[in-house]
Amino acid sequence: MKSTTETTIAKGQAQTTRIGVFLLRVNGTTPPGVDYAMLAEYAAKLPGVKTVRTIAVSAAMEPEKLATDIRKAKLNTIVLAAEHPGFYKPAFARALALAGGDGGQVRLASFAERGDGGGAGRAREVLTSAVRGTPNAPAVAPSPSAFNTATLVIGGGVAGIQAALEIAESGHKVYLVERTGTIGGRMAMFDKTFPTLDCAACILTPKMVAVSQNPNIELLVLSEVQEVSGNIGQFTVKVLKHATRVDAAACVACGDCARYCPVTTASEFDMGIATRKGIFIPFPQAVPNTYMIDPAYCNWVQSDGKKCGACAKKCSKGAIHLDAKDETVEFAVGNIIVATGYDALDAHRVERYGYGTYPNVLNSLEFERLTNASGPTGGKIVMKSKKLNKKTKQEEWVFAPDGEKPKAVAIIHCVGSRDKNYNSYCSRVCCMYSLKFAHLVREKLPEAKCYEYYIDMRAFGKGYEEFHERIREEGVYLVRGRTATVAERDGQLYIHGEDTLDEHLITLPVDMVLLSVGLQPSQGTAELAEKLCIPRDDDGWFRELNYNSEPNSTMRQGIYVAGVCQGPKDIPDTVAQASAAAAHALRSIVGATAHATAAQQKTVEIAGTPARP
Amino acid sequence: MAVRVNPELIDDLQHFGAKDAVKCYQCGNCSAACSHSDDPYVFPRKSMRYLQMGLEKPLRSALDPWLCYYCGKCSEQCPRGAEPGETMMGVRRWLTSEYDFTGISRLLYRSWSSELMAILVVAALTGVGFLSYGYLGGGGKLSVYDGPGAFLPPHAIHVFDWTMGIILALLLSINCIRMWHFTMRNEHATPVRPALYVRYLLLLPVHFFTQKRFRHCENKTPWTNHLILMLSYLTMLTLIMVFLKQMQEGPQVNWYAHTFGYLSAMGLVGTTIFAIHGRIKKDAAYHRHSHESDWMFLGLLLFVSVTGIVQHILHRAGLPMAANITYVVHLMGVVPMLALEVPFSKWSHLAYRPLAIYFAQLQQAAQAEGALPFGGPAEAHPAA
Repeated sequence: MKSTTETTIAKGQAQTTRIGVFLLRVNGTTPPGVDYAMLAEYAAKLPGVKTVRTIAVSAAMEPEKLATDIRKAKLNTIVLAAEHPGFYKPAFARALALAGGDGGQVRLASFAERGDGGGAGRAREVLTSAVRGTPNAPAVAPSPSAFNTATLVIGGGVAGIQAALEIAESGHKVYLVERTGTIGGRMAMFDKTFPTLDCAACILTPKMVAVSQNPNIELLVLSEVQEVSGNIGQFTVKVLKHATRVDAAACVACGDCARYCPVTTASEFDMGIATRKGIFIPFPQAVPNTYMIDPAYCNWVQSDGKKCGACAKKCSKGAIHLDAKDETVEFAVGNIIVATGYDALDAHRVERYGYGTYPNVLNSLEFERLTNASGPTGGKIVMKSKKLNKKTKQEEWVFAPDGEKPKAVAIIHCVGSRDKNYNSYCSRVCCMYSLKFAHLVREKLPEAKCYEYYIDMRAFGKGYEEFHERIREEGVYLVRGRTATVAERDGQLYIHGEDTLDEHLITLPVDMVLLSVGLQPSQGTAELAEKLCIPRDDDGWFRELNYNSEPNSTMRQGIYVAGVCQGPKDIPDTVAQASAAAAHALRSIVGATAHATAAQQKTVEIAGTPARP
Repeated sequence: MAVRVNPELIDDLQHFGAKDAVKCYQCGNCSAACSHSDDPYVFPRKSMRYLQMGLEKPLRSALDPWLCYYCGKCSEQCPRGAEPGETMMGVRRWLTSEYDFTGISRLLYRSWSSELMAILVVAALTGVGFLSYGYLGGGGKLSVYDGPGAFLPPHAIHVFDWTMGIILALLLSINCIRMWHFTMRNEHATPVRPALYVRYLLLLPVHFFTQKRFRHCENKTPWTNHLILMLSYLTMLTLIMVFLKQMQEGPQVNWYAHTFGYLSAMGLVGTTIFAIHGRIKKDAAYHRHSHESDWMFLGLLLFVSVTGIVQHILHRAGLPMAANITYVVHLMGVVPMLALEVPFSKWSHLAYRPLAIYFAQLQQAAQAEGALPFGGPAEAHPAA
């Protein structure tokens, strides 16, 4: 008799909701003002809840392990409770899917965003709503008078610049935090933009100057976000500001210091194909337009002030303070826009293309610098030539304006993209920038032959297909097939691949190979995601709240994403998304200020619970 | 002429081990990475294309799959995980079943339970047959292993093995003729003069015994193993088909005959264990995927080698009855292995590979003869 009842229950389970409540312990701590033991006791009594567990979570969670637990308890719905449980949602969703459930059935009970200030009673309400699946209005928005109208923009590329300008020009304060010594980002490195072939600098530099001149924008270069706490309207941000060791107000960028600096190293802005000094300015149009010292390449810093110091002595403005220290600044903002962009895939990883072994195999950003008028050859496309390094007494391959011109250039698409061995996604911009490269080669070297090895030509945007047609007509050879190898025999590069339309193998002698490397999240994206408690997707990009309807928002209110850090995209899309992210921030700012003028504090009503002041 | 498409081809090939061909996006990396692929035989991408498009006839008339030795370089570099190397392996299994006129090959490859049943049935028949012969027609005493009155006298085994050999050779020859018909007599193939067939005939034994094409693969280990396995197998076959009497004599060791036996036994066991170990560990791209027929082949080979060695040892150890029982068990492995694998399955590639190299050479020679007098290009690859 007993067994029959059990069978009935077991059969019924397929339809009933079996909820597992997970109280997350992040870095060993529980949310302030929330007692997990009491909350667990309360949650266990809620309808449908089968298990309540308090578990420690980390950024590197193993969905497989979780899946075993979920399968054991036969759960089909999961409630995650923490200050910011959204960060852990992807891991649990995958685990639930692995356990045979619907990965969409992960609900969040976020104490920070929905229960702030409510104490234990409020925590119970938040959890109850999540367990019941009823909407729970965000209770977090501070009273309009307390809503901070400043915005933090992380990343000073074209997306960050655009978002900062949109907000600043509507009269609100913006903190623009940039890791390198100048804003401009990747776009500042480019020579031309596709498909219009506009000069990239002509579009970007006016915007950069506008940033430097806007009184509403506080620009923090050489700075990194260290800590973010609080919620929408009331974030507190800690930023580590590395010392530039040059007084920006006094420096006139005359360059005397760099002339006397004895240390030379590879220029990051030029992707290593040109050199800079220990005291340097990334490029002549940099914003802020001041020199800075790289402590790793400064004799004075490395010797604790015992050696050198030539720059400080020579500076006629007395702008150089070699002993300046890094500082941490703290400020409050109401919204955060993340625009951290991308890094190019490390082409060394694709060993068979010989990047790093053969001098004239370049990645795409290196070629951008080579062909840029502010690059090491003044924009001339030449091959590397052997020059004697006077210091090390060794011969080195370097770009020099008098280098030999290549007679044949090959461009290889999809390097590290659409490839399960590297990144399986399409990086979206490579086809078009490769066509642009082909155009630049044919324009600057009409005698040179140019071959493009592509798999599929993705000319998806407005005017892109026409651009593709135009490049074809310019006499570029488009070969459908992926190059298998790049080899060198007797100083001559050969690329070997199949022309899949002709079904023949071809081995071509070329002088220069350009690798159209894919995009990947910029270094530090994972750490930033953890600091902001916003999740990333499987490819490492920041996860948007909803792919179609909320591509700018994250799981956390008041934190928005713009540009490539959300997924590969071209410049027009990046700029559009940045403006949209700014609109999100402005919406909350304007909403708060409008309320404040109405001098009427609205209470937030929660379904099924009495309104709170 | 319109091309006939078989949309189910790719599904059919899944049963033969070509499971991932659908993932291919035709980038051609595999063809360019392969050290065997060269004009006019550019592969494996083209075979992947035939599969995806359901071009059954061009695939059946293709020689490319036999020119691939599955070093796995294509699969390692494949950006899609489409496993071109394993696809070629699957196509070779499919081709074997297409060449086979009886349909047995197809049945064995597509269903592992059928293959297992076939092995068991043939093994049972063999066991019953040899035991009956031993008691009724042979020596009659299970305790006599060699010399006069032996339970299974060598002359009787010779009658059996030569009969079986001739039957299997006939079956395989018919399949080879079908292969020739598919690959050399289709509308795209260049007609070849009989004199050319004679001129290049030497290619067949050369490639059969040396497998020197395999050596062109970047990784040389598979070639060495394959060569050792094949030569050991041939040596053992010769010993059994011709020198069985000397092999069976005992209990002392006949070094002039047994030396060869020991060497080839070592070769067989060593290479088989190496292959089984590799397939379990999945230590290389070419070991990542194992079709059921691979396991049965390796299992049978190891079983036959080990039982062969054991009966030899038992006989030398003065245990003729145990030796005779092991002998029958050994034959229960040998007969299914040869009867099923030679014409219908794995062993048949020993014939198809040299033939494919020979045919490919004939095609190229014929095309060169037929090239346009003004230096125009020769006709493209016949299977295209």
